[in-house]
Amino acid sequence: MKLKIGVHGLTSCYGCQLRMASIKELLEAVKRFDIEYWYMASSKGEIKHVDVAFVEGSVSTAEDEKELKKIRENADILVAVGSCAIHGGVQGMLFGEEYKEIFEEIYGKHEMDFEGRIGEPIKNYVDVDYFLPGCPPEEEEVVYYLACFALGSYPEEKDYPVCSECRRNGYPCIIIEKGEMCLGPLTVAGCNARCPGHNVACIGCRGPLPYNIAWFDSLAKTFKEKGFSKEDVRKRMEIFGKQYKKMDEMIEKVFEDEGGKTDQE
Amino acid sequence: MKVERQIRNDHLARIEGKAGVVVEIGDEVRAKITVTEGPRFFEMITRNKHYEDAAAICPRICSFCSIPHKLTPLEAIEKALEIEVTEQTKQLRNMLYFGNMVESHALHLYLFAIPDYLGFPDAFSMAKEYPDLMKNGMELKNFGAMVQSILGGREIHPENAVVGGFGKLPSQQDMENIKKAAEKVKEAAIATVDFFAEYEYPSYVNIPRNHLAIKPYEGYGVYGEEIVASDGFSFHISGYKEHIKEEVVPYSFAKRGKYKDSPFMVGALSRLVLNKELMNGTAKELVNNYERFLRPENSFANNFSQAIEIVYFTEKIMEMAENIKIKEEKRVMPEKHDGKGYAVTEAPRGLLIYEVDIQNDIVKYMNVITPTAMFIPMMELDAKKMAEGMWNDGYKDIDLVGKKVEMVIRAYDPCISCSVHVIKL
Repeated sequence: MKLKIGVHGLTSCYGCQLRMASIKELLEAVKRFDIEYWYMASSKGEIKHVDVAFVEGSVSTAEDEKELKKIRENADILVAVGSCAIHGGVQGMLFGEEYKEIFEEIYGKHEMDFEGRIGEPIKNYVDVDYFLPGCPPEEEEVVYYLACFALGSYPEEKDYPVCSECRRNGYPCIIIEKGEMCLGPLTVAGCNARCPGHNVACIGCRGPLPYNIAWFDSLAKTFKEKGFSKEDVRKRMEIFGKQYKKMDEMIEKVFEDEGGKTDQE
Repeated sequence: MKVERQIRNDHLARIEGKAGVVVEIGDEVRAKITVTEGPRFFEMITRNKHYEDAAAICPRICSFCSIPHKLTPLEAIEKALEIEVTEQTKQLRNMLYFGNMVESHALHLYLFAIPDYLGFPDAFSMAKEYPDLMKNGMELKNFGAMVQSILGGREIHPENAVVGGFGKLPSQQDMENIKKAAEKVKEAAIATVDFFAEYEYPSYVNIPRNHLAIKPYEGYGVYGEEIVASDGFSFHISGYKEHIKEEVVPYSFAKRGKYKDSPFMVGALSRLVLNKELMNGTAKELVNNYERFLRPENSFANNFSQAIEIVYFTEKIMEMAENIKIKEEKRVMPEKHDGKGYAVTEAPRGLLIYEVDIQNDIVKYMNVITPTAMFIPMMELDAKKMAEGMWNDGYKDIDLVGKKVEMVIRAYDPCISCSVHVIKL
């Protein structure tokens, strides 16, 4: 029997779905699954029972939450796909701010028919079985996850950083050679260190490492020694890491001995 | 108004992002495009960031047009900091942008639009009966993706395009590969035009409309700084707020654009209407051969126009890849740390505007207006006319009318994630 799958998008750039829709062997792959639901690609279907549901996007409206819960109820396995679903995405950077204030600053004083929110990862609302990281995930990762489920197996999440892929490829270290704030040491691997390979510092788009081993503090210390201020460090680390537990705390700790400096912010 | 019948689809399939349509039929017909995709406040999250980081955040507005959402802020930042990039950078950025045009148009036409024309719920089921047609679509999409991967570093969210140039330059061999790949897909590109040149457009949506597009710096290009309208008016990008007004409605997280207080259109059709004389090569011949399909008053002509552009941009990429001699050069770094900059480019779906204010390397203000935000009111008017026309003509099957309404919406290739990035008034 073919595996039944559903693909869903909450609030996001739709890049993870686009990544899934643009795997080179798409037409071959779709023969092996029954796609019960994929609104971006198909006008058939409603949310009903599937073996595996893939969800991209953050929860950014009350409707997102409702839809997500319905997806969870109907899925044996739920996979959070990409930085928005796993960490809240770049929009999650506003975490901790008042939604209403931000809304009014941007839209002016308007009543809306829908309830918006600051973007949050889906694990804050439902149980998540697997995480498929990336912004967006790599093609081979998408294929690997699909293949694992098709074979009745389960995918293993990477627990090592972009930095190790970079070392393996022998790229010059962006932090050491160029003195730039590269987030490779705390970002989950899988991209084969694409950006350092292009001479560009990693901004952490794949999100912090899982299993609580993203050491924002030790990297912040390195950046501090290179002469970067707390604000410099925080502004870069929060782009994809804002909702990582204790990120702020870890950065604070490194810079706490120079209370005077924070006045410059 | 007493509503007799209602067409309601809260979640339109086969578009990018989450939007719906509500049509109410009574003494008159009303249509609303509801946008329920959550707000993401890009103008807020780029604020107080280093310009390099802000530019890296922008592509996340939308994956289908992540290249325009990188190259346009780069242009705005470079204008603000008075960086003059090299001729080679300009060429390669053009090629990268054109690659996105091909991929985005191919995805839209084959994955989203053509299933409507052939009566399938999706491209997957369509592929079973029309394998060759679908193969064309995938080849074109893969070609566009290849160009983006080589030049942008990857096809979605191009981290290799940076302020002042590129992180890593492509090799001469890369150019050779791109040229060969372009030659291979040229026929598939032409076949796309042939496909659309077989369908007549529903006359219900014949509405005179204003088209806006840029006056390209060169040829039928995507960069420029002057915006021209089909009513003969034109304006410089720095005056965009005066000429393109935005409004908020309670049923949409996307703001909506008006030009001279009226809905207007941007995108492939608008570009062809205003700039087709600037085209050359096979695309130009095809436009001349199929001129009757280039109808400024009918939005269905947008699909045909996208097909023409696939041919044009594929041929252009081929030409550029053949002629360019890659030379090693460094990124141009700014001497200035403050300034204001405006940029406008032609994204696949139409005009994309960025404004940025940088102080001491930090972005203090950023504003973005996306094509979908501009054309939603026009799309809404077309949806209304479609339903009204069919209803008055005696089509009382709500499902059928609903399908046609969706089809006219899809012809615009709306990009909802883009439209809900949110703009400061």
